[in-house]
Amino acid sequence: MSDNIYLPELARITHIKEEIGGERSIKTYRVEPVEGAAFEHECGQCAMLSLFGRGEMMISIASSPLIKEYKQFSIMRVGRVSAAFHELEVGEVVGIRGPYGNSFPLDDWRGKNLVFIGGGVGLAPIWPLITTALAQRADFNNITVFYGARSASDLMYKAELDHMRSNADIQLSVDKAEPGWKEFCGFVPANVLDKKPSPDNTIAITCGPPIMIKFVIQNLQKLGFADEQIYTTIENKMKCGLGKCGRCNVGKDYVCTKGPVYSWAQLKELPEEY
Amino acid sequence: MEKILAKNKLDDWVAALSDWQVSAPIMEDDIWSYKASKGKVQLEHSNTVQPPKGFSFPQREVFFSFEQIKGQPPRLTPIQPKAARHAVFGVRPCDGAGAVRMDTVFNDQFQDNYYQARRSNVAYVGLACNKPQGINCFCQSVGGSPVSSQGMDVLMTDLGDRYYVAAVTETGKALMTAGGKVFGEPSADDKKKLKQTHADALAQPQRAINNVDAVPAKLKASFDSPLWEELARACIGCGACTFLCPTCHCFDINDENTSSSPLRGNRVRTWDNCQFPDFTMHTSGHNPRENQGARLRQRVNHKFQYFHENFGMSQCTGCGRCITECSVGVDIVNVVNKVTEHVG
Repeated sequence: MSDNIYLPELARITHIKEEIGGERSIKTYRVEPVEGAAFEHECGQCAMLSLFGRGEMMISIASSPLIKEYKQFSIMRVGRVSAAFHELEVGEVVGIRGPYGNSFPLDDWRGKNLVFIGGGVGLAPIWPLITTALAQRADFNNITVFYGARSASDLMYKAELDHMRSNADIQLSVDKAEPGWKEFCGFVPANVLDKKPSPDNTIAITCGPPIMIKFVIQNLQKLGFADEQIYTTIENKMKCGLGKCGRCNVGKDYVCTKGPVYSWAQLKELPEEY
Repeated sequence: MEKILAKNKLDDWVAALSDWQVSAPIMEDDIWSYKASKGKVQLEHSNTVQPPKGFSFPQREVFFSFEQIKGQPPRLTPIQPKAARHAVFGVRPCDGAGAVRMDTVFNDQFQDNYYQARRSNVAYVGLACNKPQGINCFCQSVGGSPVSSQGMDVLMTDLGDRYYVAAVTETGKALMTAGGKVFGEPSADDKKKLKQTHADALAQPQRAINNVDAVPAKLKASFDSPLWEELARACIGCGACTFLCPTCHCFDINDENTSSSPLRGNRVRTWDNCQFPDFTMHTSGHNPRENQGARLRQRVNHKFQYFHENFGMSQCTGCGRCITECSVGVDIVNVVNKVTEHVG
């Protein structure tokens, strides 16, 4: 990282994929540094993306640390900067600084079963973890991915998920029944309760809308998961990413430096301010 | 290094600091503010309305400028703060303590290069408070003292017709050395008088936070107290309390464009404020601190609980500005005492 902690590096967009259309569309971007090598990151960390003249936004890095040549980000069109990002084309240059925050302790989980539970765009922050674990498949026991969205057309990374079926148990869901849908109908927490993953030697990792996370945790507890076996990643509004601008704190912790990754055992000790 | 300075020699000392910009409290528009001294320094002020934090952390700081011609990559030009050596006279101990808190935040984990470029050129020439500067002083409740040299480079004490001047840091020694013969050596009587003056200052009545050592734990236990909303009911969310606080460091970062084609502008840091609703509002509209009570709680807990948990000290230095300048009477001493009083 440069001595100037606020100065982004320039990075070129090399690939854009439209994941989901509609009003709150999601696009996945690959960026590569204009000069030199990209910074190293760990699963769960974030980066501050810049569009000069528009501003910055903190986004989870959605590619595995094993991929060195580019970093991937899945961005929903919601605010000023993300909407402007959605107008960009391949070849255009943006700014990037990071990586920020802590990471998932994946090394501690080797030999265990992993259950991933994602909802909506919340699949992106845990995607590096899923793809890294699958790239090191022999190091882990059973790998299950629960993923759901409002409808089939709102599911992101659909082709990649289908491709994973030979290596992992993929459990998809949509909130309401729709023609042609053969998998689970209902909310993500209900699908988890329906499939009953065993807590034995298992770590569960969840990310999605706050209300989904809340019920996922409740249901995991019903299935016998201890608080130390449940991990999540949280977000708050951020400006600096460096523990200084003062807005992303949950109790004493700035999410940008102490988070975003927490076990439920850690998170339940903090006030519900996220 | 400890010296005596006759009051009528103060301007001679300031004149000898030819390598330094000098600022001091000046009465203008009915308030005390730090201004360029223009060779005259009078230290008869009560505390300034604004703390001296802006010397290291200005309200607006340009990080870099950007320029982009359509179809070409952007060009970034970092702006280094132009910081001359700057001596600030008349800094009160609560604000010296404030500088220590600001240094802690801006050096923690990632050193803030913009803050540091300014801060390393700022020297604080403090003045002990022989008497409280206002009715809302409470430095002694938060681990400070009216005669503390914390955060200072030099500490002066008013002994009537003379100042007792003590260097605290190497920079302070350099400032005093530059004064050369304007200083005299303190006599045994001067030292005795200093001791007595400081003892008298410590014995002056101040407002008090009750059972202050227990406050961090009691606040933690009071997160869901209904008192937060009640005590914030009068608050109009203007944020004067945080802008005038010697330790509030929150900021925003935005792009200010000066031209659209070609694109030109600056990325700028400006002070921001935890009392504003959009301070924490997510892009989705969800706001983790959705009412003024939650925002008052954040201001108080940050000062008295979170900072304590992270850095082992109170972030509040007891200057009382947020009480004195609040237009609706939100009183941080009263808030802390009320919220914690019934917690076991």
